[in-house]
Amino acid sequence: MSVTLLGQSILSGIFSGSLYALLGLGLTLSWRYLKIINLAHFAFIFLAAYLTYQLAGPGGLPPLLVIALVAPLFFVMGYAQQAFLEHFKVDEFASIIITFGMTILAETFIQWIWSADFVRLETHFLRGSWELGPFFLPKQEMLMSAAALALCLVTAAFLRFTWIGKALRAGLDNPQIAASFGVPNKKLSLLIAGIAGALAGVGGAFMALLFTLAPSQIYSWFGVVLAAVLLGRVGSATGVFAAGLLIGVSEAITMAVTAPAWAPLAPFTLLILILVFWPERV
Amino acid sequence: MNAPAVKSYRGLVAILAATLAFAALPLFQPSPFLESFLYLLFFWIALATSWTILSGFTGYVSFGHGAFYGAGVYATANLGAHAPLWVCLLAGGLIAAVLGGAVGFVVFRVRRLRGELFALLTLALAIVLATIILNTPIDGGPGVSLMGVRLPRIYANPSSTIYLLGALVAMGSLATAWLVQYSSFGRGLFAISDDEDVAEILGVPTLGFKVAALALSSFLAGVAGAVHALFVSYVTVGETFSITVPLFVLLMSVLGGARHWLGPAIGAIFVTTLTNALVGGDWALAARALIGVTLIVATLYLPEGVIGFLAHRFRARAKPALAAAPIVEPAPEVGPKRPIGDVLLQCDDVHLAFRGVRALNGVTLEVREGEILGLVGPNGSGKSTLINVISGFYRPDAGRLVFAGSDVTADAGHRRARRGIARTFQIPRPFNRLSVLDNVVVAGQFGARGLDHGAALAQAQEWLSFVGLDARAQALPKELNLHQRKFLELARALASGARLIMLDEVLAGLTPAEITTAIDMVRKIHASGATIIFVEHNMRAVLALTDRLVVLNQGQIIAQGDPRAVMQDPLVISAYLGDADAHP
Amino acid sequence: MLILENLDVYYGEARALANVSLTLGDGEIACVIGPNGAGKTTLVNALARLLPVRAGRIRLGGEDITHLTPQELADRGLALIPEGRRLFTTMTVEENLELGCYRPAARAHRAQGLEGIYAMFPILRERRWQIAGTLSGGQQQMVAIGRALMARPKLLLIDEPSLGLAPVVITQVFETIKAIHASGVSILLIEQNAAKALSVSQRAYVLDCGAIVAQGSPEELRQSREINAAYLGAGA
Repeated sequence: MSVTLLGQSILSGIFSGSLYALLGLGLTLSWRYLKIINLAHFAFIFLAAYLTYQLAGPGGLPPLLVIALVAPLFFVMGYAQQAFLEHFKVDEFASIIITFGMTILAETFIQWIWSADFVRLETHFLRGSWELGPFFLPKQEMLMSAAALALCLVTAAFLRFTWIGKALRAGLDNPQIAASFGVPNKKLSLLIAGIAGALAGVGGAFMALLFTLAPSQIYSWFGVVLAAVLLGRVGSATGVFAAGLLIGVSEAITMAVTAPAWAPLAPFTLLILILVFWPERV
Repeated sequence: MNAPAVKSYRGLVAILAATLAFAALPLFQPSPFLESFLYLLFFWIALATSWTILSGFTGYVSFGHGAFYGAGVYATANLGAHAPLWVCLLAGGLIAAVLGGAVGFVVFRVRRLRGELFALLTLALAIVLATIILNTPIDGGPGVSLMGVRLPRIYANPSSTIYLLGALVAMGSLATAWLVQYSSFGRGLFAISDDEDVAEILGVPTLGFKVAALALSSFLAGVAGAVHALFVSYVTVGETFSITVPLFVLLMSVLGGARHWLGPAIGAIFVTTLTNALVGGDWALAARALIGVTLIVATLYLPEGVIGFLAHRFRARAKPALAAAPIVEPAPEVGPKRPIGDVLLQCDDVHLAFRGVRALNGVTLEVREGEILGLVGPNGSGKSTLINVISGFYRPDAGRLVFAGSDVTADAGHRRARRGIARTFQIPRPFNRLSVLDNVVVAGQFGARGLDHGAALAQAQEWLSFVGLDARAQALPKELNLHQRKFLELARALASGARLIMLDEVLAGLTPAEITTAIDMVRKIHASGATIIFVEHNMRAVLALTDRLVVLNQGQIIAQGDPRAVMQDPLVISAYLGDADAHP
Repeated sequence: MLILENLDVYYGEARALANVSLTLGDGEIACVIGPNGAGKTTLVNALARLLPVRAGRIRLGGEDITHLTPQELADRGLALIPEGRRLFTTMTVEENLELGCYRPAARAHRAQGLEGIYAMFPILRERRWQIAGTLSGGQQQMVAIGRALMARPKLLLIDEPSLGLAPVVITQVFETIKAIHASGVSILLIEQNAAKALSVSQRAYVLDCGAIVAQGSPEELRQSREINAAYLGAGA
């Protein structure tokens, strides 16, 4: 195999890995800080993707404006979902089942509005590629990867350095003591749920930009994104980015040296090994 | 769910009758639509029931059921043209069982493997398996056609034969689930799902049981898959390993009730009927939406599924009858107080540290047959850690434990229980979803006595009346007050037939009147022949009860001997009250 | 400063505190001593509003605080040094201290407060980036004390500061408590180590089986039979 081909494979692995990270970022936050394994995160992503398709395609709005509209809308959705789950005091296990139910509902809704057929957002926004020596750098993918990296870094810094971030971590370690030093645990969990929702919105917008959409595809993202979340250590924003890249690149290389259909083997074998031999990591 | 007081085979008889009725149905030439609908029903019943034997009964949720079912599907797909059908079915089941057993053997050894990690692990496993099958000659990519498979001519019409196989597998799965639920195996699994650590120290071999449940569950899923390959007649990796298969199985079980053999079948009937009754366009969408809503509402309002809900209603109505239950004859024979005998338990220089904190620092201790040994010390002195080391919950870093002449240092908790070590918990840890009676039955079946079901049941009732809980035998632990839950712990320890019973702060949180009855109870337990280690903060009770006292401080024994003399020891006084010089 | 009137607290259906009354004057240091299981930590948790009160009243500076939330209590100037430290174990030393002044009103004093704590415990300055859960027990106790002081409390609740510490460290901890009191903070000290607690207190209460069985000055209580009875079972 030529060096160029391998290089281009790694590049495409970086792009798909960035997307895994972007889609997993909200999930990793709600899993760690809310103890909610939110399968409906994928439903939010697809709802946002279809909304983007609608507004930027037939609606004719510029995609960047659509992102700016979709993010706050899904902040509200995330917030509302968390208020609902908190009202019923849903635990980690029940959250899987309930949010799966929500995902089925969202899938049904999408199919009802947009049909089960594939749709594709046709836009002139950032069409084409830059060329760097022998390599092609597609503009839309580049923007998405930059956004994923930026959001992961900003989120990590937010958790690390701000008062809210510290209060969130303290509340996780010891909610009662945190409360007795004035930390409003409940408000913060609604905030983090809103942020996770907004991140799903942004991820969905990019998904509409890059992929052909069909409602049944919601489920096909579960495995790989959950793998990125776990490999990156649940709750870590930089971890999910690194794990996303690791998965994307290992998939791309596996595909390049064998056949495309072998792609899932590397990341999931890695995940199994980590879960078995290093369970305290996640 | 709770075992019936008298073992009734009604469920099994009903399954048998249903099997015969379903098997005979093709003779009446039903419409092909009905036959294929019923087949699908059977398929989902089999798959959901098999899932429940692992995930419903033990609480370890598997998202990888597609892997085990898929192993069966591809067994038929590959062997069907070369081997008789029964070989395919058996091979499908066995391959899945071996796969499941091997996975279980590896992953269940991981201590503290949390439930959700197990779920994701099984999900990843299914994906890896799907990738391998897709890329090797097992499938190769385009899928496998089963046109060449010869079906045995049970019925003239091949689709009737497939229908019959489906019926047999579904009814077989139900019968298996029934047998498991009402066996000691099943009671062990329920105990694991409520509190795995307590199950282990009561004598349930938790690792072996979990592996066995996974293997059995996989076997049934594999057979169901092997039959299903015939039904779809053209298998692809995408369809077989789709995430929707395990998710629907989970949905059905949760809906119907995952802790009962019949629950998943109820869920399967509901979901399959709904999706098949409402077909085409918007109706299919409505059916799907209804499933989504049902899933949410059922999780919020029916946490134990339809069958759990019905059982509660039934129990609520049956209550008055239970109050009139016959009171069994008084306590088991209480022998004369035995003289203090040989060394029963020997702890030899036991060390244990957590993250650098020395919890036990060279504890050497003998407990003699027939004594009540008091174990006291300030907070954090290592009493609970020592109890945990003796019961097998922690492995010591160094040192040796010898019980009744055998070295038990390396034994797992359930083996020590079998040898005759039992304990109670300061904050009672009953199996919350088993009845009071069943809590005690578990101890009798898995503890040192190792009784069969009938004997364990009879003795459990006696022990309950011994501790005064016979009227509450059918209640759930959460319906008891603290005092009664503590006595339930005592009944469990007694039912196990232990030679050594460690009582961890039985008196904490009790009112003065309750303390008096509890002290009497400890005396009675001692008189019945057990050796007791009595951990307690209430010094008056310690002085009243114990033959000998051991004082721990900072992980070391600082004094032992006659209780009153020990409490006058200056070292002990300073350990409790602070520096001795403050007390001239 | 702090007045408890006939407090009853239950764990589920079990009564853990019965009719407990006590008073702490402004600028005073008082202790509640008693053996394990007497209800000391229950008392602290009820005071810090981490446990519901079944009956009775708690008054702080004249205000009824029986039903406030823990956050509202923090706003009233009460800070807690809990039993077993209960640090934010996955966070750094400095982050733990910062959480002490999380309340917006206290944040302005962050830099000044940190300086004060590091001056009091120089070892914590060296370890400021270390994860708190990996410190030794004595250092963790310093962080717990520092965290509470960062809140600039008017009233400090200290629960079992000697628990699990070596004797030398216990002596240091009690020296620190004396110094904090000297700086003008009212302190309610809950402690099993009676000798140490009495040596720093101006007034003392003995708690046994959920009830106050004796009270008075440290000198009076040192002579009392109730302490020996409660701790050692003497006279049973």
